Amino acid sequence: MTLWHSVLLGTALIVFGFSVYMGLGQYLSYSIHRTLAEEGRSISENVLVDRVRRGDDYVVRETKENYAPEIKGLFIRITRPDGSVLYRSDAPRDGSFNPAQVGQPPSGGTETFRAETNGRSGKMLVHSMRYVTQDGQVLLVETGTSYRAVQSTLHGLLLTLLVGMPIVVGISVLGSYLMMRKALRPVDDITRRAEQITSRNLSERLPTIDTGDEIERLSQSLNRMIGRLDDAFQHINRFSADVSHELRTPLTILRGELEGIAQHRVQPEQMEMIGSALEETDRLTRIVDHLLEISRLDAGEGSGEAKVLDLGELVTSTAEQLHLLVDEKEIALRYKIALGVEVEGSESQLQEVIVNLLDNAIKYTAPHGWIDLSVEAAGEFAVLEIADSGTGISAEALPHVFERFYRADKARSRASGGTGLGLAIVKSICTAHEAEISVSSIKDTGTCFKITFRRHFRSDETRERKSVPLVAESRVPPSNATSDPKISALETS
Amino acid sequence: MRLLLIEDEAKVAGFVSRSLAAERFAVDTAGDGRSGLEFATTYQYDLVILDLMLPEIEGKDVLRKLRKVNPNVPVIILTARDSLKDKVDIIESGADDYLTKPFAFAELLVRVKALLRRGPVSRASTIRLEDLELDRISYQVKRSGLRIPLTAKEFALLEYLMSNAGRVLSRTMIIEHVWDQSFDGITNIVDVYVRHLRNKIDDGHEHKLIQTVRGFGYTIAERN
Repeated sequence: MTLWHSVLLGTALIVFGFSVYMGLGQYLSYSIHRTLAEEGRSISENVLVDRVRRGDDYVVRETKENYAPEIKGLFIRITRPDGSVLYRSDAPRDGSFNPAQVGQPPSGGTETFRAETNGRSGKMLVHSMRYVTQDGQVLLVETGTSYRAVQSTLHGLLLTLLVGMPIVVGISVLGSYLMMRKALRPVDDITRRAEQITSRNLSERLPTIDTGDEIERLSQSLNRMIGRLDDAFQHINRFSADVSHELRTPLTILRGELEGIAQHRVQPEQMEMIGSALEETDRLTRIVDHLLEISRLDAGEGSGEAKVLDLGELVTSTAEQLHLLVDEKEIALRYKIALGVEVEGSESQLQEVIVNLLDNAIKYTAPHGWIDLSVEAAGEFAVLEIADSGTGISAEALPHVFERFYRADKARSRASGGTGLGLAIVKSICTAHEAEISVSSIKDTGTCFKITFRRHFRSDETRERKSVPLVAESRVPPSNATSDPKISALETS
Repeated sequence: MRLLLIEDEAKVAGFVSRSLAAERFAVDTAGDGRSGLEFATTYQYDLVILDLMLPEIEGKDVLRKLRKVNPNVPVIILTARDSLKDKVDIIESGADDYLTKPFAFAELLVRVKALLRRGPVSRASTIRLEDLELDRISYQVKRSGLRIPLTAKEFALLEYLMSNAGRVLSRTMIIEHVWDQSFDGITNIVDVYVRHLRNKIDDGHEHKLIQTVRGFGYTIAERN
């Protein structure tokens, strides 16, 4: 933009300068011609008129006095018909030409101009005209001047243009760049803010610019678009929140009435049926809870208090609590935890992510398999990986695992009491924490979930510190994260 | 003990008051915020159970107005909303406890009883149940005089069951008491721990103390 502008401006200025230069040259040349002709005529009409009456001495004196060629820098020569010089001016003060060297007048024509080379300075222009005095004598009146003045004027102009033009172009380009940047800064602002708007902060608006031009209209219509998106999202979220809420009341009643029946003396087989019904109300309740949680996460609320957490510590302490599940199936839980890798977020939600993924890994890993938990720093990011040697997920199912109610292994996961929403919640929590979650899996070999968090750095931490995390690699978690010493002792055995 | 239940959903009010009556509480019920507030400010109740979504006057306003008149009566909130913000709001506006719908009645009962006996709670250092003995100070558990080694989690689980002996505790209650809430509804960790605990406590004994009540949860009880 700026480049185009400067090229255009530069070209325009060069054309302009060139025409000024040419025009001025033309004008100066014309005005010299005219001055010389006028001088010649003036001398003829004012001085030579009286030559017959007053004599040659008068002519010389008058011409010298009135036309002062030495001062004006003009060359004046009056020649008699026989070729003898009646008057010739002296050298001008600036010495721009030498009067003695001025060439002979042309023989023919009444009025002519001629250019001559003279003296150091080069060219001079000479005007010659014939004047017929009262006694019938034809006198040749010549007036001339050096081109020097014209040339020096033009030279000065050229110099001014050469020096001035780049400066003018520079100032103008810089000025226009600054102005353009000022004019476009709102656009940059809008772009930056528009990038930041996601489904969770649709209540925010772009800055409007009161410029009254296209940019203002652009920002307004973008804002209206965001407004419509906001309405649509709010509608969806309010709807699922309302649905969940409306479902809770009947669930409460259902549960309460079933419990009420159980209070009376009932047969063991009836008790079984009531128990089964209660289990299903529990499952419904969990589904409602999870749906509500997802809709809240998607609406950007309820992310809890964000605090700085040591990701490795959170992973180990959470895994500790699930140790019995791992031990039951004699699964080897292996840790590769980098210490001091911190992220910012809600502790309970991130713990929920870990519990969900780890529980999945345990469920789908056969006895005597393994699960690897790893936390490592990768520059700006903190990477959490949970890999298992489980049944894996088929390639067709893999892209859908984060979808709500998607069940890769339908019969089995429902039997294990899941709601079909676990991974959808995991995904929503990750999104709410601006973390990326991805999954890779090979059928019958294993699955690996990978979450990339934006790392949190303490302000006193230097940049170099990032790249050299302390790595503790062991089969047992760091002991400070152990909440249940006896369980961890079990694990090592 | 006289309780006030302010709940607009007649069926919920019905089974809660019936079940509470079965536990020998006297229960008054109010179906909207206005009459509820009137009851609560007119009579002396030992405890108020308050639903948040009420006609006439909202539960939150009932609570605020009630607190101006009577800052001491324990109040349990029933709510269908369970976002963190709501919970904080509830506690800040002066409630003593809250319960998210749907709830197991046992859970409501535990909370009601906990609030009613608030004050000087005598916590005996040793709890006994038949021949099972749990020492809260030395963290020792004995059955028939024989010491049973338990992990910290198993100990916490057993202590929770024993201090509520005879009462059925739901998985949610157990998780909230022994684990973090993030584990709720995801894993079957409670069942696994109970199985382990059972192996240690009941194996080799004719009478099994820890019972599963399907659809309800677990309980530890004496032979009846």
